[in-house]
Amino acid sequence: MNRQIRRLGAGLLVLFGALFVQLNVIQVLRADSYNDNPNNTRAIVRDFSRPRGQILAADGTVLARSVPSEGRFERQREYPEGELFAGVTGYFSFIAGADGVERTYNDVLAGRTSETAGDLGELLLGEPRTADVTLTIAPEVQRVARDSLGATRGSVVALDPRDGAVLALWNFPSYDPGLLSSVDIEAAQAARDALLADEANPLLPASYRETFFPGSTFKVVTAAAGLSSGQVTAASPRYPSSSGYVPPLTTTPINNFGGGTCGDALFAILQVSCNTAFAQMGVDLGAEVLVGQAEAFGFNDVPPLDLPRVEVSPIADVASFTQNAPVLAMTAIGQNAVRSTPLQMALVAAGVANGGQVMVPHVMADVRDQDGEVVDRFEPTVWTRGTSAAVASTLTDAMTGVVERGTATRLAVPGVPTAGKTGTAQLGNGLSHAWIIGFAPSDAPRVAVAVIVEAQPGASEQTGGRVAAPIAQAVLSAALEARP
Amino acid sequence: MIPVVRRNTELGLILLAITITAATYTLASLATTADLPADIGPFLGVVLALLAGAHVATRRLAPAGDGVLLPIAGLLNGLGYVWIARLDEELAALQATWTAVGILAFVVTLAVVRRPRDLERYRYTFMLAGVGLLLLPLLPVVGKTVNGARIWVELGPISFQPGEFAKIILAVFFASYLVDKREVLGMAANRLGPVTLPELRHFGPVVLAWAASLLVMTAQRDLGSSLLFFALFVVMLWVATERASYLVVSGLLFSGGAFVAWRLFDHVQRRIAVWLDPWSDVSDQGFQVVQATFALAWGGVAGTGPGLGNPDRIPLIETDFIFAAIGEELGLLGSVGVLVAYLLMVGAGLRIALRAEVPFNKLLATGLTAILGIQSFIIIGGVTRLVPLTGITLPFVSYGGSSLIANYILLALLIRISDDNAAAEPDALA
Repeated sequence: MNRQIRRLGAGLLVLFGALFVQLNVIQVLRADSYNDNPNNTRAIVRDFSRPRGQILAADGTVLARSVPSEGRFERQREYPEGELFAGVTGYFSFIAGADGVERTYNDVLAGRTSETAGDLGELLLGEPRTADVTLTIAPEVQRVARDSLGATRGSVVALDPRDGAVLALWNFPSYDPGLLSSVDIEAAQAARDALLADEANPLLPASYRETFFPGSTFKVVTAAAGLSSGQVTAASPRYPSSSGYVPPLTTTPINNFGGGTCGDALFAILQVSCNTAFAQMGVDLGAEVLVGQAEAFGFNDVPPLDLPRVEVSPIADVASFTQNAPVLAMTAIGQNAVRSTPLQMALVAAGVANGGQVMVPHVMADVRDQDGEVVDRFEPTVWTRGTSAAVASTLTDAMTGVVERGTATRLAVPGVPTAGKTGTAQLGNGLSHAWIIGFAPSDAPRVAVAVIVEAQPGASEQTGGRVAAPIAQAVLSAALEARP
Repeated sequence: MIPVVRRNTELGLILLAITITAATYTLASLATTADLPADIGPFLGVVLALLAGAHVATRRLAPAGDGVLLPIAGLLNGLGYVWIARLDEELAALQATWTAVGILAFVVTLAVVRRPRDLERYRYTFMLAGVGLLLLPLLPVVGKTVNGARIWVELGPISFQPGEFAKIILAVFFASYLVDKREVLGMAANRLGPVTLPELRHFGPVVLAWAASLLVMTAQRDLGSSLLFFALFVVMLWVATERASYLVVSGLLFSGGAFVAWRLFDHVQRRIAVWLDPWSDVSDQGFQVVQATFALAWGGVAGTGPGLGNPDRIPLIETDFIFAAIGEELGLLGSVGVLVAYLLMVGAGLRIALRAEVPFNKLLATGLTAILGIQSFIIIGGVTRLVPLTGITLPFVSYGGSSLIANYILLALLIRISDDNAAAEPDALA
């Protein structure tokens, strides 16, 4: 029996050896990745009492700051602007962790990066060298975005196409991050429960974390696909005038909005947002060209915006369109197999505006230590090349025509040549999302914008041109002033 | 001479265990209240009194018994108490009571069981008691379901987990039964190529134990105990008969049973799904394991320090998941330290088994040690996601009266056998 007992001992030794290895994996090898996991609130809890840098808007407006507090925690995080910047700053909460800039730049704000570590003495004294984060967000543009969207579900994204700086990022409904960040833990918990129970889901920054059918705004991508492939030019083909396009393999026609008849060359069909023509263009180009173009603008990839959990805008893979021309036709007009965040559609507009190159979108402008020294600055970089400069130039002309003579006349900024494209994404229940994307000035773009007014009961007649365009126009005007 | 050396070793190690426990207790208190523990005097007094009591009992009742087991158990018990006190003061008061009762049970066991072979005589009483205890929670009225597992019994004001005691009683029964039958069961009757198999009917007991463990798994929904009981029986059968074929056949049986259970029962499916991928449901089913992983990772190599972590967000932290709390606050050093403590106990237990001359003693020591080793592996492996999580206590560390008392009885039996070994061959120790 002794041999078996020794083997039992060896067996148990092996089992405990496996435990030893597993503990090393969790506690040493993978510890950093677990500590950074978004579901892990431990870093927040540790930082809750410590000094923490400010978050500032582009003009120096304080968006988040820590003030001394009595009781269990030594400090209290405040958001003087309430809900206006919630989607950007996020919150810094004992119970809910952190979101937004508070999470992305947590190490910088808490003073734990090598840039701000300071000298050994400070390290030993345990005084963290917190840093302030200045954002690219322009409060006056953000305010205009909020005021012009009003109390309607929707999102507004405005950015500078030249460097990717986000100027406004608003969605309604929003929430007051101060409620979640309270040192009164019970009050914070109650506030969080109420926000989570709210069916409107105000905690969700829909502008970059929710996808919608992009509707006709996606025709810009389809047009870009046609131009890039060489199969479509400004002059040809001239799509036949039609009131119903029947894709192969089906008998159900795709109709134009309002049942109209349309068809001609590219500029004309973009101006009136001709469904039949773009559906046919999509089928003629084929899935590979269309999906490839969408991916060139960033679809199926997570935009590298410096905020947590940016949602990917998905388009179905090429193989899924095989023997499925009806779906391809619907996708070419922004329905069915493609979805987009408002951010992604803003990036499409920005790509066209920037000669075809989509810059990395970002909300951080720079990071300064407590002496005001800049320790980090965002360097503009190209994220993805959407189109060639020539294609971008043709698209700009086509989109300028849409504002001058087409469905987006309400987007025109007085005295400034403006480019745009409307969208009315139908949800099949009589309701629709009203979209618009655009940029200005079209000859030297400084601002690109995307607006979605989400479908709402009782507003079956809302179209992008009527509902979303005036909001985008107000935001463009304000942003052009902020970005001279 | 040898008994004196062993007892002095034991005393020294006990003092060391008390020092470590008291220091950790003080650190945890400094961290949570920024002050020395208000009750550090009484705390030290009680710990000292309890362990000194146990030590005096071994000096009197088992002078040549192993001197390492009690100090390690005391250390694990002490560390467990520190974390329970840090997490929940009410539970800590109860745990202190359970510790006292556990040590009393330790002393009583040593006093009553003067010779291990006394136990052998009551074989079938033990069998009935073991099976009865195992099935008791399934009875109406007294049986009670807690956290999804029907493993509690409520008799008036007292509620306990009979399974904790059943495992020891069954180890005694298995030892006496197998000592009797090992010749027969070990006979090679059938040849299957190069493999010799015992006669088919001798697999009867295996199938019985297998069926019982499946019953525990499905009717009581207690996966951990089910695995522990079956593993205990199989290991003892293998050691007794020296036939590896029992291990293979049992392994196949268990795999088959586990597979069928996985197909049929959603509580088993949930455990497996969470084990394979806890991340897809981090806020609900995977929450506990994910939080435990976060706790261990946060501890890193050196830990946050006692009282400075956030283990309180893990459900069942005082019982099944206490290892995660220790791992967070003492780091890899502490968690591996706990592993080493169990390994030392397993080593001591198997050494006792190796030195035992009487087959019954040998088997019983093997079985008791296997319980200790397998149980701590199952729960630590579950907490660290090495194996699927099965709710079971961490011996001596977890909160829980039944577990603590049962494990002190187990300890007393091992020390009793060790003392018996020394009496049988005093020279072997030199």
